[in-house]
Amino acid sequence: MAWDWEFTINEVLPQLMEVVYITISATLVAYLVAMVWGLVLAFARRSQFRPLSVAAYWFVQFIRTTPPLVQLFFIFYVLPRYGIALTPFVAGVLGLGIHYSTFLSEVYRAGIESVPKGQWEAATALNFSPVQKWKTIILPQAIRPVIPVMGNYLIVMFKETPILSAITLVELLGKAQIIGSETFRYVEPITLVGIFFLIMSYGASLLFQRLEMRLDLSKK
Amino acid sequence: MSAEETQTATLEKEEETQGTEKKEEALPIVRYRKVSKSFGENQVLKEVDFDLMPGERVAIIGPSGSGKTTLARLLMTLEKPTSGTIEVDGRQLWHKEVKGKLVEANEKHLHEVRGDIGMVFQHFNLFPHMTILRNLTEAPVKVLGLSKEEARERAMGMLEKVGLTDKAKAYPANLSGGQQQRVAIARALVMRPKVMLFDEPTSALDPETVGEVLDVIKEIAAEGEMAMMLITHEMSFARDVSDRVAFFDEGCIQEQGPPSKLFVQPESERLQSFLSRFNLGEENSQ
Amino acid sequence: MVPIDVIAHIFDRLLPGAAVTVQLTVLSAILAFFLSFLGGFGRLSKFRIIRFVSAFLVEFFRGTSLLVQLFWLYFALPLLGLELPTGLVGILALGINYGAYGSEVVRSAILSIPQGQTEAGIALNMTPGQRMRLIILPQAFRTMLPSFGNLLIELLKGTALVSLITIPDMTFEAKSMRTNAEEYTLQIFGILLILYFIIGYPLSLLTRWAERRFSVGRS
Ligand SMILES: Nc1ncnc2c1ncn2[C@@H]1O[C@H](COP(=O)(O)OP(=O)(O)OP(=O)(O)O)[C@@H](O)[C@H]1O
Ligand SMILES: [Mg+2]
Repeated sequence: MAWDWEFTINEVLPQLMEVVYITISATLVAYLVAMVWGLVLAFARRSQFRPLSVAAYWFVQFIRTTPPLVQLFFIFYVLPRYGIALTPFVAGVLGLGIHYSTFLSEVYRAGIESVPKGQWEAATALNFSPVQKWKTIILPQAIRPVIPVMGNYLIVMFKETPILSAITLVELLGKAQIIGSETFRYVEPITLVGIFFLIMSYGASLLFQRLEMRLDLSKK
Repeated sequence: MSAEETQTATLEKEEETQGTEKKEEALPIVRYRKVSKSFGENQVLKEVDFDLMPGERVAIIGPSGSGKTTLARLLMTLEKPTSGTIEVDGRQLWHKEVKGKLVEANEKHLHEVRGDIGMVFQHFNLFPHMTILRNLTEAPVKVLGLSKEEARERAMGMLEKVGLTDKAKAYPANLSGGQQQRVAIARALVMRPKVMLFDEPTSALDPETVGEVLDVIKEIAAEGEMAMMLITHEMSFARDVSDRVAFFDEGCIQEQGPPSKLFVQPESERLQSFLSRFNLGEENSQ
Repeated sequence: MVPIDVIAHIFDRLLPGAAVTVQLTVLSAILAFFLSFLGGFGRLSKFRIIRFVSAFLVEFFRGTSLLVQLFWLYFALPLLGLELPTGLVGILALGINYGAYGSEVVRSAILSIPQGQTEAGIALNMTPGQRMRLIILPQAFRTMLPSFGNLLIELLKGTALVSLITIPDMTFEAKSMRTNAEEYTLQIFGILLILYFIIGYPLSLLTRWAERRFSVGRS
């Protein structure tokens, strides 16, 4: 079966374009969830209250060593049985977001630990309140060195969104599958989706590299 | 011009030493001819002519960035000359003669010729994943094809010479800088090169361990078997150990001669001002 | 409360799937390991064309998303005239995808070995092959181990995707079990997650051990 350009351009492309926004918005919302929940986890890990930090530790270990796909199934199929019915989109961004929050929490931790001890002591010596200390001294310095890693996780999460099709979210790959099953032509839609991911993720990584260089320059 | 000086220097040296066997080997073991080296725009070596006689010990001194390291790295084939030729024991190093013409040497040719050269680096470059003994036996076994026992014997003998037999089973990370450098010297020696290059072997060391390394080098130099090229900032060491001192500046040899002359009556103003920065009298203790 | 025999029953039903998951992990890890070195060396080749081709392939397989590759091999390739056994499709997609990530590990580990090591090898008149084999790789390999460990855990998690192309791994078994026993959805997926954790957590402990063992100094 040869590649059919007319089919590709007149049918596949427009149909895929319709759902691009779902892939992108799922990525962004899930990333937001991961950033916020990751920060919560990072602070919970640092907590002086042992049960909290131990719980955070095991949560992180458990979530990051088990497949996000199964976690999505869990959220999507288990919660409704207890009265919490979620749309595929919400279940998807929650699942992906929580999975990657465990990675981001480690990233935050590395960033916080990279702030020299003298900075903490200086902040204490200047009698900053804890909130001021975090806001004006620690976080600004902790975040900068981890920006490249954070950017990388955005790309990783973007490439992970096709698994949301497994919980019936019609994002790009889901749409490609629908087109395929309706027309019995899978080559064009799936290839196109692959190319889309390639261009987007490679483009984003180039963009981040340039941003990183900028940041490096402005630092000096 | 500098070839001429080399000649006189060699003659003088031969008058000094009683050994006559050196006179018969009149041919230099290393011969740089019009060697230039540039890194991009930056010309580091400018048509250097330089000879090293068998068994001769030459100290190379000169200001930082003058190209001393580059001179040695070209001979060790770590860097490729931009132009000019280097001969080792009568063979072209960077070139091969094919039907009377010089063509660029391939890895196989380099492999054949560079067996005559050994090098001790400023930062030791020991292999951290191997024991000291293994550091010394790896190349004799794999490169020279010695049996394990032969290599071991040779290595232990060499460790004895540098005073580190008790460290044979240790790893480099557990040795002090001075000990590591002595191992590095032993590692180069087990290959039995005809020419040894030392690139500032003590400048990465803590002051208190400099002496032990210099002593080892002096001992080797006293045996007088190998030609040695000693790049150093230790002027008294250069004076004590060398047959000839070459002052390197701005990519060429500005002045050379026996240490007794060069350190006492430097001719060029450059050398005078360079030497004035070192107080030779007080460095004697090393 | 759920009777204990329900849990035991779920375990029983999932175990054959667990065997498939482990098999799949091991086989694709072997492929990925091999491809990691192929790609890593390719990107460091002295030949421009080999560097370019390897860089392109690595970026291609990293950039197109694992599930898309899996679906492409499963749905599209047969239509182009090549029908592979489903198990092979799973191994190929996982092996190639994680091999592409692994090649970056190999490449950066080799590049992380100080230039002085190569130079010492040259000074001892070792051939380029000997330098790589005796000097660079043994050191680089230690740097690679923790990253390979992390990738192996990612690969284990990635195997769950093959359930979507009907390979009867743990996840597939869990899903099909659930269609007949929806009231036990929580238990089925809960146990499934725990099974993955039981396989994955030792790997992560091993990885962290390797990280500590090989990152600070050597002896
Ligand atoms: N690989 C390289 N790439 C670019 N420039 C180089 C390189 N190696 C050396 N140079 C330059 O060549 C010049 C001479 O360097 P070289 O190391 O030979 O000097 P040196 O006399 O050994 O100095 P020092 O006493 O500081 O060791 C310096 O200006 C240096 O910056
Ligand atoms: Mg130097």
